[in-house]
Amino acid sequence: MFDSKVVRRRRAALAIFVMLSIVMLTAYFGESGGGVFHTLQRGAQEALAPIETGTGRALKPFRDFFGWFGDTLDAKGENEDLRKEVEELRKQVAQSSTAEQDARQLSGLVDLGRSEGFPDGTEPVAGRVIARSPTVWYSTVKIDKGSGDGVQEDQPVIAAGGLVGRVTSVTAGTAEVTLITDASSAVSAQIMPSGATGIVEPEVGKPEDLLLNFVQRGRRITEGTTVVTSGFTSDRVESLFPRGVPIGRVSRVDLDEVELYQRVHVKPFADIRGIDIVQVLTQKGESREAAEVVTP
Amino acid sequence: MITTPGALLRAGGVVLAAVILQLSGFGPMSFLGGHPDLVALAVAAVAIYAGSVSGAATGFAAGFVLDLAVGATMGVSSLVLTAVGYAVGRYREVRDPAHGLMPIPVGAAATLGFLVAFASVSFMLDVGASVSAVVLRDMLMTTLVNALLAIPVFAVCRRILRPVLVVDPFESRRRRKAPIDSGPLGLRGLEV
Repeated sequence: MFDSKVVRRRRAALAIFVMLSIVMLTAYFGESGGGVFHTLQRGAQEALAPIETGTGRALKPFRDFFGWFGDTLDAKGENEDLRKEVEELRKQVAQSSTAEQDARQLSGLVDLGRSEGFPDGTEPVAGRVIARSPTVWYSTVKIDKGSGDGVQEDQPVIAAGGLVGRVTSVTAGTAEVTLITDASSAVSAQIMPSGATGIVEPEVGKPEDLLLNFVQRGRRITEGTTVVTSGFTSDRVESLFPRGVPIGRVSRVDLDEVELYQRVHVKPFADIRGIDIVQVLTQKGESREAAEVVTP
Repeated sequence: MITTPGALLRAGGVVLAAVILQLSGFGPMSFLGGHPDLVALAVAAVAIYAGSVSGAATGFAAGFVLDLAVGATMGVSSLVLTAVGYAVGRYREVRDPAHGLMPIPVGAAATLGFLVAFASVSFMLDVGASVSAVVLRDMLMTTLVNALLAIPVFAVCRRILRPVLVVDPFESRRRRKAPIDSGPLGLRGLEV
């Protein structure tokens, strides 16, 4: 192993191969595209191409099998990343959907406040629904505004579209709103423009259908006409709801020969099942005064 | 390995098969960013069984064929694989490894050496590449994949080269193994 002849021969072999490589490298850089090495490369590639193609086809199943492991591991990592991305996008979609819905409802409230015939002398206090009754009757909701914001009991509450209920209990920071779909609810209303009056009561369990009762038989009621609060006032009693707040649209009229009154079905303007933002119609001046009392 | 037509044919066959398989079958395979490198493994296998001179010659030939087939700069692979073949061959001559798992570290070291040296030469030739975490990860994964492939590749190369090897390290080691002198039940001095 330590024979000097062997060592010399070994070193010489290494030097020859290294030198050959360097010469080849230098020559390759020095020659043009049509030089010896370039021509050799083209020839070799042409000669090897069919062999490579055949071998490639023959080895495809093995390659696929080998690739399956890598792909599975890659897919696992990719799946993890995509899951996170989906989670993030889902959050964004939820946020934008919520924002869109809020904007729509707020826009509806603004339009409602500007509409002709909307009661003067009220100051709307906007609130967000923070809890709703878990029953199918959709009878009450809780909002994040209370007496500290000027909200008092029996004040009417509107949402985008029209009337949704009235405040039935108040704490400093929250208020419970009994919806017009609650069994105990009754709102004096008027059909516009005919002027026929009646009492809007719920058909319990059907939040998209209200009944306008006690409409005299002789009055001609047309489908599609608007029903608004009548703001009935007498010496003894006064309606809790100011005149002119839209309630809904006449959807159907039941004519019964026996009954003295007509039963008018009203489809509420407000989306009772999907309200998120409401406005409490406080008396002008009250909310500001209340706020002043609360704020030190 | 003595240079005979048979030996040249077998070593040449190994080189050619390694290059073709590398280009058409194993090259496109990807495992966590690493690609099997059969050429480096084949050169290391020939070098470990046939010695440094044969290793260097095989490395040079493999590099030459590889550069021809790929269309890369001629001489780069030859230079690097010559060095790899020589180094592995010298390791065999100096250390005479005979452990059954020897191909794993040898294959991994040869692959890593080839990748690092190839990258270094490419940088010296100003290929305009940059060292990134991805490149380093790929080098590491290729080394690991080659370590896994080393045992079967070395076994195949040994089988092909065996008829022309002057000394087969595993075979000679087995022959040198001293017979165990023991009693019928295997407890020396306490034979029943």
